Amino acid sequence: MPVFNFYQWSESHGYTLTASGPLISVEISIPAALKVYLSEKGLPVPAPQSGFALIDTGAFATAVDQSVFDALGIAPIDKIQTSTPHGAAESPVYPATVTFPGLALTEMPMERVIGCNLKWKTAEGKEILMLLGRDLLQYFLLVYNGKSADIFLAY
Amino acid sequence: MTTMPLETELAVFARMKDTLLATYEGKFVLVHGEDFLGAFDSAENAYAEGVKRFGQEPFLLKKVTAHEEVYRNQALSLGLIHARI
Repeated sequence: MPVFNFYQWSESHGYTLTASGPLISVEISIPAALKVYLSEKGLPVPAPQSGFALIDTGAFATAVDQSVFDALGIAPIDKIQTSTPHGAAESPVYPATVTFPGLALTEMPMERVIGCNLKWKTAEGKEILMLLGRDLLQYFLLVYNGKSADIFLAY
Repeated sequence: MTTMPLETELAVFARMKDTLLATYEGKFVLVHGEDFLGAFDSAENAYAEGVKRFGQEPFLLKKVTAHEEVYRNQALSLGLIHARI
């Protein structure tokens, strides 16, 4: 069982779990079927987009910053209603593939990921690209240890 | 007049929804433009078929369910995810 144990500490900022939230490094890439299509056509396959995912037990679905889909050239496959403080809105839905290098978990297909503007940098400079929601967390064991500022994640 | 991506396809899906629910509930359907292209057992198979036919063009891939999901993320929408207090 791949296990990820991450002490969220940096020399410049000390313990960062409370400030930044539980983070795991991710690489987001195009779906396998699109990769096959581009390869067969002799078209360039875009490089994966790397950054961090914030583990978000409050979200039922995983969301990724819109800029990632734009960079990867993935077309939307649907729209979903979203609830915002200003009322109802719509967000595009995309397929993608995700790799968690820290877990040695590679090319996990994600059938429906919400595209929205969520990118930001933590105080220690980690760029958040993804909110990892319960649709993916259902496959993981997660321990949030606030006392020692670490998370334990197993797949 | 230009239309937003998937606007046509979503309108087609809305028109067909009652029929689709009666026949394909729980399956994944593929729509491109005004054309309904069929139902599939998995989203993966539907997407593979869509890419095979249309490459990087947008096409609609939707699960046929009576109730549409709504994405609520209060912390994100309220800006609390990266708020510093």
